Amino acid sequence: MEDMRKKTIVQTFIGLFAFAIILSGCSSNTNSNSNGSKGAESSPSASVDAASSPSASKGNKILIFGRNSDSVGLDLATTTDGESYRVAVNVLETLVVYDPTTKGVSPKLAESWTVSDDGLTYTFKLRQGIKFQDGTDFNAEAVAFNFERWMDKSNPLHNKDGFPYYESIFGGYKGDAQHAIAGITVADPYTVQFKLTKPISSFLSNLAIPNFGIASPEALKDTSRDFNKSPVGTGPFLLTDWKANDTITLANNPNYWQQGQPKLDKLIFKVIPDQNARLTALQTGEVDMIDGVNPEDVRTILQNGDLQLFDTPSLNVGYLGFNTAKAPFDNVKVREAIAGIVDKQALIDAFWAGTATPAVNAIPPVFMGYNGDIKDRTVDLDKSKQLLSEAGYPNGFKTTIWTTSASRIYMPNGEKVAQALQEQLKKINIDAQIQTLEWATYIDKLISHDTDLFLSGWISDTADPDNFLAPLFSVDNTYNFSGYKNEEVNKLLQQGQVETDSAKREQEYRDIQELLFQDAPVVPIAHAKYFVAAAKGVSGFVISPTGANESFADVDMN
Amino acid sequence: MMEKKKSSYEIQAAEEGTILPLHSLWRGLRANKLAMAGLTVLVFFIAIAIFAPLITPYAYDQGDLLNTNRPPSYKHWFGTDYGGRDIYTRIVYGARLSLWVGLASVLISVSVGSVMGLLAGYYGRWIDMLNSRLFDILLAFPSILLAIAIVAMLGPSLQNALLSIAIVNVPTFGRLIRSKVVSLKEEDFILAAKSIGMKDRRILFLHILPNCLTPIIVTGTMAIGTAILEAAALGFLGMGAQPPQPEWGKMLADSKDYLLKAPWTVLFPGLSIMLAVIGFNLVGDGLRDISDPRMKRG
Repeated sequence: MEDMRKKTIVQTFIGLFAFAIILSGCSSNTNSNSNGSKGAESSPSASVDAASSPSASKGNKILIFGRNSDSVGLDLATTTDGESYRVAVNVLETLVVYDPTTKGVSPKLAESWTVSDDGLTYTFKLRQGIKFQDGTDFNAEAVAFNFERWMDKSNPLHNKDGFPYYESIFGGYKGDAQHAIAGITVADPYTVQFKLTKPISSFLSNLAIPNFGIASPEALKDTSRDFNKSPVGTGPFLLTDWKANDTITLANNPNYWQQGQPKLDKLIFKVIPDQNARLTALQTGEVDMIDGVNPEDVRTILQNGDLQLFDTPSLNVGYLGFNTAKAPFDNVKVREAIAGIVDKQALIDAFWAGTATPAVNAIPPVFMGYNGDIKDRTVDLDKSKQLLSEAGYPNGFKTTIWTTSASRIYMPNGEKVAQALQEQLKKINIDAQIQTLEWATYIDKLISHDTDLFLSGWISDTADPDNFLAPLFSVDNTYNFSGYKNEEVNKLLQQGQVETDSAKREQEYRDIQELLFQDAPVVPIAHAKYFVAAAKGVSGFVISPTGANESFADVDMN
Repeated sequence: MMEKKKSSYEIQAAEEGTILPLHSLWRGLRANKLAMAGLTVLVFFIAIAIFAPLITPYAYDQGDLLNTNRPPSYKHWFGTDYGGRDIYTRIVYGARLSLWVGLASVLISVSVGSVMGLLAGYYGRWIDMLNSRLFDILLAFPSILLAIAIVAMLGPSLQNALLSIAIVNVPTFGRLIRSKVVSLKEEDFILAAKSIGMKDRRILFLHILPNCLTPIIVTGTMAIGTAILEAAALGFLGMGAQPPQPEWGKMLADSKDYLLKAPWTVLFPGLSIMLAVIGFNLVGDGLRDISDPRMKRG
């Protein structure tokens, strides 16, 4: 009898212990560390195996980067999520890159460029002697090939769902009235010329957006491979292995055109969904770098002598969006009522650990054309209740707040923000459910407008307001998750793209913000800081204000 | 005289017989100190669950973003969580949810499992074949995995978590009853009932089922503890209770980001889960010892 009882008690405790293990973060054990043998990770099925590269044998500098979600797809022309950027920018490179110090662009694959006086012709001189990772030459033909693929709907390699970000940035596809690129000509093997249909002030910075990285035409033509899963570019690293929802392994590209780069032999992106587990993994040396740092943990990291913290004000916004295509959020009074209950500073103190700035407009204050004259609404429950009555909902209504479990730079604790909003909404008789989805599913829901209230955000790829406001608020844009349709805003956004007089352009963006504030298709909550934490030995990492798109070419570790 | 006396004695015995199993269980339980300790814990949880509104100073979803993650104090006995909500209040209301899920899910699985087990054991042949293979299929999956799969299909909510736990536990009871019925139906009193032409339904529910009661109670009590743990696990994984419901597992999951900074936010929900589960296990364990004839004290 005693034995039996003991056995059950033991079982009980084993059960509780198992629960405690779940509690401690479900971190799966990894079979690799920075000093470990490298054989374990190389995949036999990989087409480009690290073992075949000459540099692979000389060292074993392996950097493991912990992050919260897997990439959606590595053909960036098809996606815009940060987790995909994070990896793909190390494989595919753009003609020019955004330079945070000058807020302009600097050369990358293009060595230099000239712009005609009418602003309609851009001529790029390409860097010579660059080879794609599959050994084919990078040249003007390749650049033209990529753009033809994106812009021409009849191109056999055009994506069946289109390239939404291309469409959004360049105003459509070939033949569309608003399409910005009239044609691309290959002047000589290393000179490529873009003819525009209208002058576009942000054309150069648009080319710096990681989505327009130049891929190897041969690899694109090879229909037997899924380019989204195995991209081939000119970047410092080549993809060797992708284990879904676990790791993406990149290996040193021995033929990289920039001398002395990359310095790492291997770069591994590892998915660790839990914030605590991710930090613990960094503290124990299981990984060397992490992003998605919980602002709550910033102090812990700063106090730890073995760690270093990179931070930057990021060009982002975290917002509460309304599905304006759907009742009751098609009513501006309902949107205003809800905007009037969001206590931004309190939310920031509680869920951004006070590290973010309250957002009045969608674009951050450092942007050209920021409208600082707009006074934000104050929290006023009575006024909100009155607005709801006027809108015909004196007794409130039922709705759903959609959010993701993935921590984002602009929204590190989406689920908890949703809970705080849920409680606040209850005070004006709105009964909200919370739906928390994992990252990839959530993006799908947002794009298909399958939401009611939702928490999302935007990180700009350039410091130009066009890159912020046009995707979020142009009619029928894929990233216009709130389904916002305002012809006046739309017209101003289109004017802003072609306006060459900077004072006029600034005024247009100021007007847009004024209209957006009145219409409230979204409630901007915070401009968050962006944190990356790393072990002390990591050097050469430069954090980017445009979010998760840092190149690891110059990153080293000792 | 002799004959009359005997018959009155018989009647008495028969009456006592119907209350005997439960009564003797209770008597045995009182003698078992550990089981009584478990029962005390359970009574305590049941009491706070019933009187929740009377003993809590706040509403469970009443937050205060200016007072988040505060340590235990006179105003907030167990401190506040990340949303500035009173943890003590949430724990007390959480007892309601956990007990409800535990009791209701086990009740469902006992009812469904009993009927399936009775039919399978009594009729045998293809009915037995069908039911037993169904149980085998359900038992082939690890229980928590199966529960997750069911919730994933139905959509995450406390009701669906309850349902999935109930489904997962059906084969446990089904098999238990079936094996009991298989041996019972060969007993003389069942054969006698059959030979006098009693209907199957009457035999099953009035003669066989009451004889299966003891193992059902014993296994059921233990299963409630497991069900509470499973509900907490599902809640922890975001597949059970949805915010702002104060489910213990969900509270653990939401507060785990503050484990180092505000340990009380996870300590109290964790302790509550542990106590409730231990309570049911101790009682169930005690009941099993008492009902097992091999363990009966002389």
